[in-house]
Amino acid sequence: MTSAQLEIQLIASLVAIACAIPGTFLVLRKMALISDAISHSILPGLVIGFFITHDLGSPLLIIMAALSGVVTVVLVEFIQKTKLVKEDTAIGLVFPAMFSIGVILISKNANDIHLDTDVVLLGELAFAPFDRFLLDGMDLGPKSLWTIGVILIITLSLLFAFFKELKISTFDAGLATALGFSPAVLHYGLMSVASVTTVGAFDAVGAILVVALMIAPAATAYLLTDNLKKMLLLSVFFGVFSAISGYWLAHWLDASISGSMTTILGMVFLLVYLFAPKRGLISVLYRNKQQQIEVSLLTFLLHLNNHTEKNERHINHLNEHINWQKVRSKSVVDLALRNNMITIDKDIISLTEKGKNFTDKAIDYIITNDDSKIESIKEDFFLFRG
Amino acid sequence: MSFTEYFELLFNDYTLRTISLGTAILGAICGMLGSFAVLRKQSLLGDAISHAALPGIAIAFLITGTKETNVLLIGALISGLIGAFWIRGITRRTHLKSDTALGLILSIFFGFGMLLLTYIQKQPNANQAGLDKFLFGQAATLLARDVWFMATVTLVCLLVLLLFWKEFKILLFDADYAKTLGFNTKMIDTLITSFIVLAIVLGLQTVGVVLMSAMLLAPAAAARQWTNSLGIMVVLAAFFGATSGVIGTAISASQNNLSTGPVIVLVAAAFVVFSFIFSPSRGLLFRQIRFVKNRKDLQLHKTLAFMFDIAKSHENISHPHTVKILNNFHGYTRKSLSKLEDKEYIRVEGLMWAMTEKGFHFAENLYNQQVEEND
Repeated sequence: MTSAQLEIQLIASLVAIACAIPGTFLVLRKMALISDAISHSILPGLVIGFFITHDLGSPLLIIMAALSGVVTVVLVEFIQKTKLVKEDTAIGLVFPAMFSIGVILISKNANDIHLDTDVVLLGELAFAPFDRFLLDGMDLGPKSLWTIGVILIITLSLLFAFFKELKISTFDAGLATALGFSPAVLHYGLMSVASVTTVGAFDAVGAILVVALMIAPAATAYLLTDNLKKMLLLSVFFGVFSAISGYWLAHWLDASISGSMTTILGMVFLLVYLFAPKRGLISVLYRNKQQQIEVSLLTFLLHLNNHTEKNERHINHLNEHINWQKVRSKSVVDLALRNNMITIDKDIISLTEKGKNFTDKAIDYIITNDDSKIESIKEDFFLFRG
Repeated sequence: MSFTEYFELLFNDYTLRTISLGTAILGAICGMLGSFAVLRKQSLLGDAISHAALPGIAIAFLITGTKETNVLLIGALISGLIGAFWIRGITRRTHLKSDTALGLILSIFFGFGMLLLTYIQKQPNANQAGLDKFLFGQAATLLARDVWFMATVTLVCLLVLLLFWKEFKILLFDADYAKTLGFNTKMIDTLITSFIVLAIVLGLQTVGVVLMSAMLLAPAAAARQWTNSLGIMVVLAAFFGATSGVIGTAISASQNNLSTGPVIVLVAAAFVVFSFIFSPSRGLLFRQIRFVKNRKDLQLHKTLAFMFDIAKSHENISHPHTVKILNNFHGYTRKSLSKLEDKEYIRVEGLMWAMTEKGFHFAENLYNQQVEEND
């Protein structure tokens, strides 16, 4: 591994961390798409900044870009406030217009310079190590490393300073206002951080990856935990993991680094989406299926409980009587047998002691809706958990 | 370029005619289907789907090796549909909200698409150039048969729309009611989502992945301001879309180095801004005018009510009083006084005013809606 490779991975990881932190809050506040809007609409700011300075490395560019990000947020909110269109329509109207202005400015005026819409969308991480930060002829490492490092430090110190405020205002805006935190200040603070991070990061990784790095790790983490601190840590972990493995995938395929980082993020999300223990697709489907069977089981047990006559409890009669298909009734009977709730004697089904007990508890629960009655059976049955 | 020149070119120049026709058709179909997207609060679905279509284009190229637009667009259609239905899966099956799902699918699919595109670019065969036209779109690459294809698709969409108009409408405004009436809501929902994906895919070649969402949204958002009826909205949106397509093409053709996609988007955005401000019933300008007028009326009524209070204590209601007893607090200004006189609610003579019969009656029933209706 050469030092350039190491530097690329370091920059990518720092970008991932810097994006994951505001991203987590954006996802929790249901404002994930604002990052998409910002990442597109910083383009005109960048271009105008470039026309003023004629230097792609100037800090004015970053300031102008971040400014146009904030302008986008303000514009979106203004349109939302007029109530002429729905909230998401406002986002969808503002950023393509801003982006179009940027594209037109570039194509009209900057044809011969190094400011390309492809670069804006994709970034070029591979070249980041060649743009060195020189101070008195001393090589202090790549420029983007410094940019993103500074942004990360600011983000982290803001996070530690205002963690409590952010947490409260994210989950209970009303309480936060009542406690005296200004929701507007926090909101615009977060937006500014998101804006600055987007600008700083997109120089290195491009507009789209910024969106991916903000939303995907946070969304993945949100499927795994409900705890804000854990969610932050997990999304940082996912971000860094995809940054490093994405780099090696790109190295192997000889393709865009930001593209492959995003692809890894997508695959991680897909895996978690399918296999997350509680919220994953498979466990959700499994739980639904179980609940369905358990409802059937309960119906079945209640039926048995209600009938003492033998012909009502004959195994074939049940098929007709509860109107279930063969397979379903078989699986229900099997489940009940396995749990020792019924016994079958010459095709006549009767409740065991345990089954009777269970049914009584279930009836109690249904009638009183009192949780304490079913504490003991909760463990075995999904039905009574949720 | 003057207007006459433009029209001459439009009729004689094959390229300009094809592109204008193409962008007009595209604008129309996008406006039509965009109305549904906007009203279903799925405005940004278009953005997500257009980005999600990118890997499909790349994969279609990798498999077939052709740059035949229709083949690539089929790839785009498939991956756009996968994206759209995955978004739905995420919002339905997990607790992630729709904005997260949209942003996630958008960025991940797009990133994957870019990975494939850069991978293709590094491939040895030289056939790959030009795939990136789908990023920003190149209206100049539109051929007559592309336009024919777009027209056919638009026609089919229109037919289906007319055929299922009632179902679409009822699903839009009251999905539960539609269900109780026995409509297969899932089917209608899938149908309309598929159409939106189709419209987006059609536009990729012209406007490109990044700006496609605006084509879908802007005409519909503009049309929404002018009407409350779905039918009129759809027609208006189609008209706005087609017009922005034609105007955008004209502007970009008149100058060098002006890509068509962004110009069309900006023209559509201008429609939106105009509608936001000047729409008679919802527009900001008329809303402000109504607001000011209401405030002035209120001031006038306040003055009148105060006068009424004084006048009713006298036997002769037209007994004159000095102007001095009125003050600003009751909304009195010189202007409001003359306005009241204009309406013949009062008579002013020198520094005295007196209430008229008409003014007394009006002031008496100022806050009494019931009487006015009976009159």
